[in-house]
Amino acid sequence: MEETPQHCLSRLPDNSALKQQELPAHRLYFTARRVLFVFFTTGIFCLCMGIILILSARSTQEIEINYTRICANCAKLRENASNFDKECTCSIPFYLSGKMMGNVYMYYKLYGFYQNLYRYVRSRSNRQLVGKDVKAVEDCAPFKMSDNKTPIVPCGAIANSMFNDTIILSHNINSSVQIKVPMLKSGLTWWTDKYVKFQNPSSKNLADEFRGTTKPPNWPKPIYDLDKKDPRNNGFLNDDFIVWMRAAAFPTFKKLYGRLNRTHHFIEGLPAGNYSFNITYNFPVTRFQGEKSVVLSTLTWCGGNSLFLGLAYTVTGAITWLASFAMMAIHITLKNKQMSFFHQ
Amino acid sequence: MERIVKANDREYNEKFQYADNRIHTSKYNILTFLPINLFEQFQRVANAYFLCLLILQLIPEISSLTWFTTIVPLVLVITMTAVKDATDDYFRHKSDNQVNNRQSEVLIDSKLQNEKWMNVKVGDIIKLENNQFVAADLLLLSSSEPHGLCYVETAELDGETNLKVRHALSVTSELGADINRLARFDGIVVCEAPNNKLDKFMGILSWKDSKHSLNNEKIILRGCILRNTSWCFGMVIFAGPDTKLMQNSGKTKFKRTSIDRLMNTLVLWIFGFLICLGIILAIGNSIWESQIGDQFRTFLFWNEGEKSSVFSGFLTFWSYIIILNTVVPISLYVSVEVIRLGHSYFINWDRKMYYSRKATPAEARTTTLNEELGQIEYIFSDKTGTLTQNIMTFKRCSINGRIYGEVPDDLDQKTEITQEKEPVDFLVKSQADREFQFFDHNLMESIKMGDPKVHEFLRVLALCHTVMSEENSAGELIYQVQSPDEGALVTAARNFGFIFKSRTPETITIEELGTLVTYQLLAFLDFNNTRKRMSVIVRNPEGQIKLYSKGADTILFEKLHPSNEVLLSLTSDHLSEFAGEGLRTLAIAHRDLDDKYFKEWHKMLEDANAATEERDERIAGLYEEIERDLTLLGATAVEDKLQEGVIETVTSLSLANIKIWVLTGDKQETAINIGYACNMLTDDMNDVFVIAGNNAVEVREELRKAKENLSGQNRNVSNGHVVCEKKQQLELDSIVEETVTGDYALIINGHSLAHALESDVKSDLLELACMCKTVVCCRVTPLQKAQVVELVKKYRNAVTLAIGDGANDVSMIKSAHIGVGISGQEGLQAVLASDYSFAQFRYLQRLLLVHGRWSYFRMCKFLCYFFYKNFAFTLVHFWFGFFCGFSAQIALDTSYWTFINHVFIWGSIAIYFSILFTMHSNGIFGIFPNQFPFVGNARHSLTQKCIWLVILLTTVASVLPVVVFRFLKVNLYPTLSDQIRRWQKAQKKARPPSSRRPRTRRSSSRRSGYAFAHQEGYGELITSGKNMRAKNPPPTSGLEKTHYNSTSWIENLCKKTTDTVSSFGQDKTVKL
Repeated sequence: MEETPQHCLSRLPDNSALKQQELPAHRLYFTARRVLFVFFTTGIFCLCMGIILILSARSTQEIEINYTRICANCAKLRENASNFDKECTCSIPFYLSGKMMGNVYMYYKLYGFYQNLYRYVRSRSNRQLVGKDVKAVEDCAPFKMSDNKTPIVPCGAIANSMFNDTIILSHNINSSVQIKVPMLKSGLTWWTDKYVKFQNPSSKNLADEFRGTTKPPNWPKPIYDLDKKDPRNNGFLNDDFIVWMRAAAFPTFKKLYGRLNRTHHFIEGLPAGNYSFNITYNFPVTRFQGEKSVVLSTLTWCGGNSLFLGLAYTVTGAITWLASFAMMAIHITLKNKQMSFFHQ
Repeated sequence: MERIVKANDREYNEKFQYADNRIHTSKYNILTFLPINLFEQFQRVANAYFLCLLILQLIPEISSLTWFTTIVPLVLVITMTAVKDATDDYFRHKSDNQVNNRQSEVLIDSKLQNEKWMNVKVGDIIKLENNQFVAADLLLLSSSEPHGLCYVETAELDGETNLKVRHALSVTSELGADINRLARFDGIVVCEAPNNKLDKFMGILSWKDSKHSLNNEKIILRGCILRNTSWCFGMVIFAGPDTKLMQNSGKTKFKRTSIDRLMNTLVLWIFGFLICLGIILAIGNSIWESQIGDQFRTFLFWNEGEKSSVFSGFLTFWSYIIILNTVVPISLYVSVEVIRLGHSYFINWDRKMYYSRKATPAEARTTTLNEELGQIEYIFSDKTGTLTQNIMTFKRCSINGRIYGEVPDDLDQKTEITQEKEPVDFLVKSQADREFQFFDHNLMESIKMGDPKVHEFLRVLALCHTVMSEENSAGELIYQVQSPDEGALVTAARNFGFIFKSRTPETITIEELGTLVTYQLLAFLDFNNTRKRMSVIVRNPEGQIKLYSKGADTILFEKLHPSNEVLLSLTSDHLSEFAGEGLRTLAIAHRDLDDKYFKEWHKMLEDANAATEERDERIAGLYEEIERDLTLLGATAVEDKLQEGVIETVTSLSLANIKIWVLTGDKQETAINIGYACNMLTDDMNDVFVIAGNNAVEVREELRKAKENLSGQNRNVSNGHVVCEKKQQLELDSIVEETVTGDYALIINGHSLAHALESDVKSDLLELACMCKTVVCCRVTPLQKAQVVELVKKYRNAVTLAIGDGANDVSMIKSAHIGVGISGQEGLQAVLASDYSFAQFRYLQRLLLVHGRWSYFRMCKFLCYFFYKNFAFTLVHFWFGFFCGFSAQIALDTSYWTFINHVFIWGSIAIYFSILFTMHSNGIFGIFPNQFPFVGNARHSLTQKCIWLVILLTTVASVLPVVVFRFLKVNLYPTLSDQIRRWQKAQKKARPPSSRRPRTRRSSSRRSGYAFAHQEGYGELITSGKNMRAKNPPPTSGLEKTHYNSTSWIENLCKKTTDTVSSFGQDKTVKL
């Protein structure tokens, strides 16, 4: 109400660029020259990138063998859950026409398996898997406890449904000599999974540590007995287990099963010739109308043999070029029109 | 409903439970704050929606997100709003307290006691002193002035600064200041119930077995200021919220912007869209469960019994509603509020809206309306104090064909000259008014040379007026003016040596260049609206009888003697020149009267005065008769000083297609004059319609005529009052509106407006008004101002802004979409009611065209981006639903999304990634393995080259189409700003920027209004001597002095005012 002149200074707003809204501003002005330049260069870049990607994808080799139907008898057997203790093996011969150079990876691939269902994804206990408290099973419904109220280790639907086929690749040098292709079961997981997310309880004897718990209902053997040959590959640190526990985002997915140990005969990769997969068929897929296959593949710097990215780049590049030509045409006609308008 | 009040009897009045004098403008108190505020807040769609979501999330079956993702932002939003509401209300409490605790003297137990305003009760008698605010609506009982007169300033009520006279009943004025008698006063007032009509009051006072009727002249309203009256006593009739001031203040409404409404509808649509998505996904889930999910039970069985796929779909529906809720994110509302708050600060910080003379920065008092400023279509402006400074200055004059006063050869250089030039040294420095300055020395020289015409001219100015003089304690001469125009003229004469000293009913004493001269006042030919002139007939000491006249040039020029022709044409030219500068002009003339002729005329005047029939007509005829064959002396030009930069602001705002309506309590002539001065009215206009009908039928006819005129002959509007055609007409006219070419203006006064605002004429008025470029409403009450605003708001669907400075603008400010108060003035009401306040009208330009525009642009950009972002983010889940068996599994992690949105700077990628990496880090996983199972995701995915290639490709594919679109748009369909930018570029290339074109001078034809803002009747007041102090006893009646019956003038005055009031009232009842 009463204005006193002493207030003058304090009430005058600061003269800073921010307060006066005078910060430097830049407005993109789309001149023809700039736009066309950007478009041509982007087009060229995309086309080149696309071609490179396609070429490198084409250089990879991949073999996929769907063994759902081939091992039909085993599939049939597994449809009935009561036959869980009957072993069923199945051998699938195939011919590798060209040799696979470099690192070769073996995957199993499942079709129609919904590892991304909401309740399924939730059904695990990270606290248990990190080895802190093996009896922490709160989040694992519906696989928390066995019927006699002992906590399941590893609990939850994910762990319970672990892929448990055994796949052995053999090289048939001739009709009588079969060599088992050496596969490494290590290095299949992310580093963080193996060293941070999954940890065994500290004790030397795993079986002691897991006392008072029970195995998941679908599992034939307990968690500390997964790999009889390599004791370090047991418990929560089993590579196959870790790979499985990283739930896939789509119902069709492949997971790494092993990688070629490049020694002796296979130092350069897989030579061409006759091979066969010997599969111990445990994992039922026909029950939910799923399918499974085994994949052998090499990799390049940009991943596997997917052409998608390369094609996408090529198409984008082409469209960019077309667009830039169209814009150039429009711009030139307009300019001529304007010129003639001014000359009049 | 009527009100009965007994003086000095609190017990009696308590029976009726009248409101006491405490006012509440606040909304809450401590106890009611929480429930009322929460209730108000949950009425907002968004808040209610999030409350529902929160409840859904608390159900574990369907909760796909944790509950705190909703409750944290919701609580944040509600707390922020509540804190803001609380502070606002705190300040209202404070200002209420300040008003309620003002002191006034109340007569309690036969003693005058100091009492707080809030404790004043109806029926109390209170004493007011000079320059005090009136505490409540009072019935004037007695005053220090003779005859129980008192003067009040009503600026707070109607914006007029001239003084108004109120007078007590003669029976009560006898009470004087006698406390004992006042304490025994036990009159009973029966009057109308509280209402908002400022110029109307009906009541009866019963006292001592007789009844006296009361009208508006006996009432002093709350908000007035007592002036020139050392004390007065009044009885409280209406108190607190019942007073006319408070009744006029209008309700505070919750203001929303159009973006708010748009947002609400958008949110509703999106909500519908969300439901659709939910239904699709739920159906998908049911199908999936029955087709595929059934077989998947080996790995994932339902643990509690069998559940049907339909039920699972039902649950999925709710889960998806929660997951997809981010399409209508609560952060939208928070962010919008924050952005608006930022814009408000930009307004507060703006140095270009800082008025250094009063040290007043602009202030955004409401922070939620900024973008609406860019959408204003109509501005309703008050006149006095907003457009004008309410300072009248005598600028120039033309005497006997010669112009005096500065000659502005170029408008731009004018100010510089003013600063360089020495103001004139006035003759009698001691008596001169210090604020008056004049820059032309020629006039002073002419006076010194003794030019008789110049002397006569100044004599007219000093004699022909209604000003009262007074000496203050320092012995300085003070003029009490009824209108600032007259004040300017008399002050000018004073400074040039013709000093008006004092007056009695029969004489006027002036000091002419140092010598005291007393003129006998023989007759006073008062002003009225039709005459548009005022004359006095005086006898000078030499015994000559002279008639001095001043008035509107158009009227006065017809009365001139034919011999004046040469001078007339010369003076006409000068008048045109004055008008071109927006000055108010008056012509000055005189006539020498023959003694005998005057006596005859005077006799006839007395007869006419005594007559009962056709009195007014006969008097008017006699006035006509004597005011002829005048000799022209010259003309004056008075400037009603506009606020700085008003003209430029008005011009640029109308360039922006914003229509400006002037709503003023002032007189029609004054308002029109200002209209011309601000360039709102120009002579290039095709037509200016004046609606001044006195009853509904006349108003209707005038409106219709104006409309016909406007829409041309091709449309013939039927004469009848067919209501059913109205709608059709409205549609027709809205088409016409587009096609109306040329500029029109509408001028309407308060009485006509009252009729025009009635339901069936309303649309006519609105159509006409909207077709006009300028609308001026004069003599309007505060409530009418609000009604006009409401009318435009309701039927035009336009965004309106009201700007004003006084309490009379409060209701208009409150009802417009945006109210602007002029701050740095005395009164604070307008500012307190406003949404924005600043010190000068011209800042409106920056507020609307810069801040409003930017605000709107930014808000639009923000909203577009926000909706895009949310859709992009949310639809991923929809799409992912098709892959995960519609099981409401989220593809991306949303739990921290809202968190990031709110707490950190939006869009800051650096922070986003640091959070991402933290949440994906080993450490946090080690602590909360179940809550943060993301360890390694980011690290491993971002190390793949493939991912970067995909990101790159996506960026290219998203950006390039936009670039193409923008490029083509600029090329093919350039907007105005694109063209201007291109032009600027070309200019820059061609040559350095050329200097600005010199401004052309405004050309305007001559117009003159007798723009004195005073009322008819003051002439009688003066000649009767009723307003003279008792210390100047009226001398024995002069020889040929006009003699009126001593009470007649008051009755006349009353009659005139009540006539208009009652006729107004009658019309009203007829209409109803």
